[in-house]
Amino acid sequence: MQMGRFLNYRLAGWGTLLMVLGILPWLGISSNLTRLLFTALVWIIASVAWNLLGGVTGQVSFGFAVFYGLGAYAAAMGINGGLHPLAAFTFSGLVAALASVFIGLPTFRLRGPYFAIATIGVSEAVRVVMTNLSFTGGASGYRIAEHGRFRPLEHYYTALGFSAVAVVISAWIHESRFGLSLQAVREDEEAAADIGVNPLKAKLMVHLLAATLTGIAGGVYARYAAYIHPQGVFGFHTSVAILLMPIIGGAGTVAGPVIGGFVYGLVQEELVAAFPQFHLLLYGALLIVIILFEPQGVTGWLGKLRGFIERIWRKSATASVG
Amino acid sequence: MDAADFVNLMVSALLLAGIYAAMSVGMTIIYGVMKIVNLAHAGFLMLGAYYVLELHEQLNIDPLVGSVLAFPAFLLAGMLVHWTLVKRIPVSDQPTLASLLLMFGLWLVLQNIGYLIWGSSDRSILTSRTLSSMHLGPITIPTVRVMVFIPAVCSLGLLEFVLRKTWYGRAVRALMQNRYAGRLAGIPVEKMARLTFGVGIGFAGAAGGLLAQLYSFSPDFGHGFLLRSFVIIVLGGLESFWGAAAGALVLALVETFSILVLPAGYQPAIAFSLLVLALVLLPGGIAGIFAKKHRWA
Repeated sequence: MQMGRFLNYRLAGWGTLLMVLGILPWLGISSNLTRLLFTALVWIIASVAWNLLGGVTGQVSFGFAVFYGLGAYAAAMGINGGLHPLAAFTFSGLVAALASVFIGLPTFRLRGPYFAIATIGVSEAVRVVMTNLSFTGGASGYRIAEHGRFRPLEHYYTALGFSAVAVVISAWIHESRFGLSLQAVREDEEAAADIGVNPLKAKLMVHLLAATLTGIAGGVYARYAAYIHPQGVFGFHTSVAILLMPIIGGAGTVAGPVIGGFVYGLVQEELVAAFPQFHLLLYGALLIVIILFEPQGVTGWLGKLRGFIERIWRKSATASVG
Repeated sequence: MDAADFVNLMVSALLLAGIYAAMSVGMTIIYGVMKIVNLAHAGFLMLGAYYVLELHEQLNIDPLVGSVLAFPAFLLAGMLVHWTLVKRIPVSDQPTLASLLLMFGLWLVLQNIGYLIWGSSDRSILTSRTLSSMHLGPITIPTVRVMVFIPAVCSLGLLEFVLRKTWYGRAVRALMQNRYAGRLAGIPVEKMARLTFGVGIGFAGAAGGLLAQLYSFSPDFGHGFLLRSFVIIVLGGLESFWGAAAGALVLALVETFSILVLPAGYQPAIAFSLLVLALVLLPGGIAGIFAKKHRWA
C-alpha cells in the first residue's frame, strides 16, 4: 500500500518533469536556453546509460567515449548516405552495441579497477585509430551535409524523447529481476554466480544496453553539431564527463544520473565560457567529496535534506498537538 | 636494417626503459603497500615537470638538480595527501573503486590547477644538453637521454638498497606480502602507509622532472605516461620492482622497434593495446583478479 503510493508520487514527478520540458520551448525561452537544454538532455541519455553499467552493476568504465564517438560517426555517415535521421540513430545504436560486445568479452574477465583501467586503454586506442583513419576524415573530422532548414526544436524533441526512453529503461531495470541480478553482480560476483546469475552474461547484456543508448546520444549530438572530430567525441574528456555526471548525481539510482546530467550540461556550458578549466577543477573536488562522504551524490544529499525537513515538520506537528 | 641501425634502436630503447622504470616505480610501491591504483600519478608527473621548469627559469637551477630537489618536496606533498584524503578510504586487500575514483578526482583537481596557473600552452626545458649528442662510431646518442638515464637508474638502485637493507624497506616488503602479518609483527601500518605514499609521489615528482627534459609538456602532460606506467606495472606483475623494470624494458623495446612496421600516427595506440592485452592475457602477472571459477556464457 505504502509502496504503491510512493510509486505513484514518483510517476507523477517524472510526468511533470517531462511535461515541463515538453512545453518549455513554447514559453518563449531564448534559443540559447533551448540549446543548453538540448545539450543537457543528450548528456542525460549517456549519463543514465553509464549508470546502468557503472552504478547498478558496479563496473566503472572510463571508455564510454568509444560508444558516444562511434554513434556520432555512424549517424553522421548514415545521414550523409541518405538515411532518415531515425534510421541513422538506430544505426548508431547498432554500431555501438556491436562494439560493446567486442570490448566487453575480453575486458569483463577483469574485476573492478582493472576493468576500469582496461577501458581507459581501449578508449585511447580507439581514439588514436579514429584520428588516423582516412575514410572518416582522420583528425580533421567529419562533416554532415543535411539539406533543409536547421530546426532546433526537432533536435530538442529528439533528445527529449530518447532521454525519456532512457529513464524508462533505467526505472524498469531498477525494479526488475534483471536489475536485481545486476545488483547481485555488483555486490559479489561469486555469490551472484552461486544463486544462479551468470555474471559475464549479465554484464555483457547491460553493457550492450548502455552502449546502445550512449551511441544514440552520440548520434543525436552529431546531427545537431553537423561537424564531429575524434578529439571531441572520442576524447578522454567525453568519457570523463559521462562518468562524472551519474556519480555526482548519485550512482545506482534512477534520479541521480538525470540530476547529474542537468547539472553538468547547464553548469558546464556556462562555466566553460567564463573559465575554460574551472569546471573540471570543481567536478574533481566534488568527486573527492562524494567518494569520501556521500557515495549517493546529490541524491543522497537531497534524501538527507528531506529527512531533516520531515523531522522538523513532525516535531512542530507534535509540538502543536501537545 | 643494418647492424648499426639495430644497435641505435637498441640503445635508445634501453635509455627509454630506464626513465620508464623510474616513472612507474612510484605507482608500484603505492599499489604494493596500499592496493591503491594511483590515477593521480599523472598529475604529480605533471607537477614535477613544472616544478623543475620553475626552478630552472626562476632560480636557474639545473633541471637534473631540480629533479633531485623534487623528491623531498613531493614526498611531503604525498604524505599530506595521504593524511588528508587517502587514509579516509576503507582499507582493503583488493584495490577498490572508491580509491580509484578518489585518485581520479585528485588528478582532475591537480590537472586543472595546472591549467589555472600555467595555461594550456606547451612548455619545454632547454639546456645546453638538449640538442647535443654523443657519437660512438656509427652510434649516435642524444646527450640529454643519457643524462636523464643515469639519475633514473641511480634512483632505482637507491630504492632497491633501501628496500633490502633498511628497517623501513623490510617493513614495506613485509606489508606488500601480508598486511596482517606485518601488523602482528609490530609494523605501524598507518605510519608506513603514509611514508610509502610520500615516497611513491616523490618518485612521481622526480620522474616528472626527468621526463620534462625529454618532452614538451602541458598540464595534460601525464596522461600518456600514466597509461604507460600501467602497462609497465601490469606486465611486471604489479608488486615487484624487478618486474616493473622488465615491464619498462618490454614496453620501450616494443615502442622503439614498432617504428619499423607501424605508421608513426598509430604509435600512441601501442601502449594502450599492450595494456589491454597484458591485463587480459597475462593472468600470471596479475594474480588474484581472475575468479576462481569463472564461467563463460
